[in-house]
Amino acid sequence: MDTEWLYDFPFKLPINLEAIDDAVLSLSIKFEGFFALIKTLLGDLVNFINSILNYIPWFILVILVVIVAWRISGKINKGILYGAMLVLIGALGLWSLMYETLSIILASVIISLIFGFPIGILLSTSDRLDRLVRPILDTMQTMPVFVYLIPAMMFFGLGKPPAVIATTVYAVVPMIRLTNHGIRQIDHEVVEASLAFGSTKMQSLIKVQIPQALPTIMTGVNQTLMMAMSMVVTTSMIGASGLGMEVLLAVNRIEMGRGLVSGTAVVIIAVILDRLTQGLVQRSEVKTDGE
Amino acid sequence: MKKLVGILLMVGIISLTLVGCGGGKTVGDGPFAGVEIKFADAGWDSIKFHNAVAGTIAQGVWGYSWSEVSGSTPVTFQGLTTGEIDAYMEIWTDNIASYKDDLANGMFHELGINFDDNYQGIYVPRYVIEGDAERGIEASAPDLKYIWDLKNYPDVFPDDENPGMGRVYGAIPGWEVDEILHKKYLHYGLDENFIYFRPGSEAALATAITSAYEKGEPVAAYYWEPTWLLGKYDMVLLEDEPYNPDTYLNGETEMPAVKVTIAVSNKFQDDGNEELIAFLSKYRTSSQLTSDALAYMQDTGSNYVDTAKWFLNENSQLLDEWLEPEDAQKMKDFLNK
Repeated sequence: MDTEWLYDFPFKLPINLEAIDDAVLSLSIKFEGFFALIKTLLGDLVNFINSILNYIPWFILVILVVIVAWRISGKINKGILYGAMLVLIGALGLWSLMYETLSIILASVIISLIFGFPIGILLSTSDRLDRLVRPILDTMQTMPVFVYLIPAMMFFGLGKPPAVIATTVYAVVPMIRLTNHGIRQIDHEVVEASLAFGSTKMQSLIKVQIPQALPTIMTGVNQTLMMAMSMVVTTSMIGASGLGMEVLLAVNRIEMGRGLVSGTAVVIIAVILDRLTQGLVQRSEVKTDGE
Repeated sequence: MKKLVGILLMVGIISLTLVGCGGGKTVGDGPFAGVEIKFADAGWDSIKFHNAVAGTIAQGVWGYSWSEVSGSTPVTFQGLTTGEIDAYMEIWTDNIASYKDDLANGMFHELGINFDDNYQGIYVPRYVIEGDAERGIEASAPDLKYIWDLKNYPDVFPDDENPGMGRVYGAIPGWEVDEILHKKYLHYGLDENFIYFRPGSEAALATAITSAYEKGEPVAAYYWEPTWLLGKYDMVLLEDEPYNPDTYLNGETEMPAVKVTIAVSNKFQDDGNEELIAFLSKYRTSSQLTSDALAYMQDTGSNYVDTAKWFLNENSQLLDEWLEPEDAQKMKDFLNK
């Protein structure tokens, strides 16, 4: 008995994959000027952040982290712990690499906030739009990175600009989701009350809804930062220098010690950024509860 | 009633499945029918092609089945030393820092050289030096011949992230040649006005070259032969000092052709497989043969196995070199089936 038909799929779509390749190539040639502009803007943003970071003497940054952590957590020993962790990165000789990595991450987070915050607010106003955009957000987070990185490299070249783009695509999603969610979960009666007292929709949004949603939005910022951190090594595979490249070098050479050292530095940065922003979340919660 | 239909359906599906299992995959016949060889697939074209050639022969003559384990170069090499991968058809010995030590320690068995007539180094597109009237590209660096000539052209190969500096794409981080190239970059003083840019991955490096070439822009990048990329694009290898075995590791001379070896794991050797190992020990191709096959594949869009069969038909004398006479005949019959 021939049972092939049970297991073989009956038909195959004739997709012309080469046409897609050619389209991407010709697109990259046709709009070269436009892509070059974006590339320059992104590169300038990263360089700008990097030069600001480089302008700060190392001990000032350490002291700053100690004070901020102390103020946020209310415990001096936490501040000292984070400061000591930061000093460890410097002692491992990874200070300037950390700046390079940080400047890519901060650039991505800034862009994520610029785009994610308004989009999230927009989505909170319309259920239909929300339904439409949700699969797009899912795609952004689950599409294997290299699938869109190869075209991105065609358009923007190798290095930091495509790294910022890849990181942003991945990290903007929690910002959008949590802004949307934060505004949606506000008590309807609160919004109604604000409107009843004569505020316009805009006033209600800025003065009532956004402050109410602030803890959730701050969680979004925190998640965006963490997502951006998780892209550090991936982006080094498209030539973004920094700690990620150090990890990649170590991993590719099976140098476990070097990998562990640079990996630890990535973890330290992530932990400090996470705790500082989480502290902000808690502060914003306390404030809104108190009011 | 509904329940009964459900049960009947289930019985039907199960019995069909059982029948299906019985008539499932066909296994080749021969003394090693059902034994599976796991080849390393480190990601590039030529290794997959050689896997297909060796796998097809193993299947045709002895009835092995074969599959590939994919991963990066260090991961697959690690797999070979631990016996998770049986055979490695293309070990670029210079790209694995621990190769000599691991070989000396008996972590795997080196069988022979697949090819050792390849080139690697810094390439630039031919139109950068000679121009291309057809595409309307003027020669932007007409006097570029040696690697150190790059120093005169930082503006031709600009680095966007560092204004005023040029960019030369180095090798993949972690490959031994990356260290050699970096030393070479320092040795010739290119660090004065050039950035040694690590592309991070093979995909990124190939994309950098491809997009520059398609746009007709200058690019200076490390690459190696045999690859589809250098088969497809007309690139020129920048010259260097003649090869000197004592100093090339310091980047002072050109690099020798890399010895690309074939190896099997200790486990695979211990499990018998003498005939297959004897065949792999004699397996030898060349950079040219490999490039031709890859170009055929690129042109016709056929898969690796079909390309391997085409290759063996075109070069049937190789079968006589690699196999015992009766096995070679058996393989030729298999190909003509």
